[in-house]
Amino acid sequence: MDEKYEELAALNALGMLESDEKRVLSGACLSDKELRELSVELEAAAAELARLVAPHEPPSDMQRRIRAKIRARGGPGLRLSPAAMLGTLGWLLAIGLGIATAWLWQERGRLANDLAAASKILGPAVAAAENHSGEVRSLESTLKNLQGDFDKKQAALTAALNEAQQKEAAARAETQRLVAAEEARKKHEAELKMRVVSLQSDVWEYRRSEMTLIWDGSRNQGVLLLEKMPSAEEGRDYQLWLSDPEKKRKPVSAGVVSVDEKGAAQIQFKASEPMGEAVKFSLTVEKKGGAESPSNTMVFKER
Amino acid sequence: MTSNDISEEELLQRTGQGDMRAFDRLYDALAPRMFGLLRQMLPDEREAEEVLQDGFAQLWEQARSFDSSRAQAFTWAVVIFRNRAIERMRMLGRRNRLVDAEVLSQTTLSAPDAATTADSRAASVLAAYQGLTKDQREILGSAFLKGLTHHVIADSTGVPLEAVKAQVRAGVRRLHDLLKGGDD
Repeated sequence: MDEKYEELAALNALGMLESDEKRVLSGACLSDKELRELSVELEAAAAELARLVAPHEPPSDMQRRIRAKIRARGGPGLRLSPAAMLGTLGWLLAIGLGIATAWLWQERGRLANDLAAASKILGPAVAAAENHSGEVRSLESTLKNLQGDFDKKQAALTAALNEAQQKEAAARAETQRLVAAEEARKKHEAELKMRVVSLQSDVWEYRRSEMTLIWDGSRNQGVLLLEKMPSAEEGRDYQLWLSDPEKKRKPVSAGVVSVDEKGAAQIQFKASEPMGEAVKFSLTVEKKGGAESPSNTMVFKER
Repeated sequence: MTSNDISEEELLQRTGQGDMRAFDRLYDALAPRMFGLLRQMLPDEREAEEVLQDGFAQLWEQARSFDSSRAQAFTWAVVIFRNRAIERMRMLGRRNRLVDAEVLSQTTLSAPDAATTADSRAASVLAAYQGLTKDQREILGSAFLKGLTHHVIADSTGVPLEAVKAQVRAGVRRLHDLLKGGDD
């Protein structure tokens, strides 16, 4: 015997086979008597294992439920015995046949009269209707075909429309997402380039003075605020400088600054040439109108 | 043998002839053991009850096909009830679920307490079952009591599929031989 089938028979004995494997075994059993007998014997041997399972009392109403189920299925026990069934059925049929015959005889006469009368009245109309009925059937068939085609096309178009709408909605959502991302990126970039610098002076006369700068690196410009500054000496001005340590070049002048009688000033300035991200600010005292390069009279210096 | 010395086979044959009293007595003889088996296979008691109902209804309908020269009434009934339980597991999608390997190793068969069973053949079956190797006992116990397929046992235990199939084949064959009174 083929070992493969013997293995299937053993697996089947424990109910382990999937339906496709079961089909293979059943097919082999049809042509192999020895395998068929082995399969039955192994199944019986495996079933014996149930003797090793502890019994468990079913609910007390289980027998009643089983009887109800059998009744609902119309099982064999609910039928009359074959002999009784045949006898009863015979009598019932005989009585029924007698009554039916009498009633049918009576009905036959009445229906014959009714039919004759109806034929006279409806004869011409029935003939005309029969002539047209073929035509109507043909038109109905054509209409049904057209309706079928229409329904198919409509369904296809509706599906295509739905698909297109879904794609459009998805594309619109993607565009909105990209625009929002770009705006967020620009804002973030701008925020990165905006810087606020607040400086205190190391020089005794300017110990109470304050210099605040707001620098916009993206536009290369800024605002300078000075407070509590002493007035510059006669013939002298304050001058703002921008330096770029990364590029190691000479400081660039951002213009002279005049303070009012309260020692305050607010100017907007723009660098004459592009500055790097590491731009530093300083304020010096220079001759009236400003100097080409900063002197060593440093008032504020960002380090 | 049942009460009044009428065998289960005789009761099943009478049931096949539409004898409802024989069916009732067969129910008394088989129901606790079949319900015990179903309680092992199906974790939910209500499911076990439903399968017990369906199984007895099927037994009533098919009893006339029982041939006492080819099978015992008990094993014939076990096949009906187990198949129904397996069908229920398949329907509920439980058939292919992996099972904890430790749970499987603890799923073993043993002789029921003599006080709860009148089955005189249980001792012979236990002796035959104990004649199997430990691996064979574990795999046969898992398959029989839990209704698991060889694929699920292999995946759950990590034992290669071919090894599981070989153990099943050797185990069932040996069980058959031992129950017939042979050794190998």
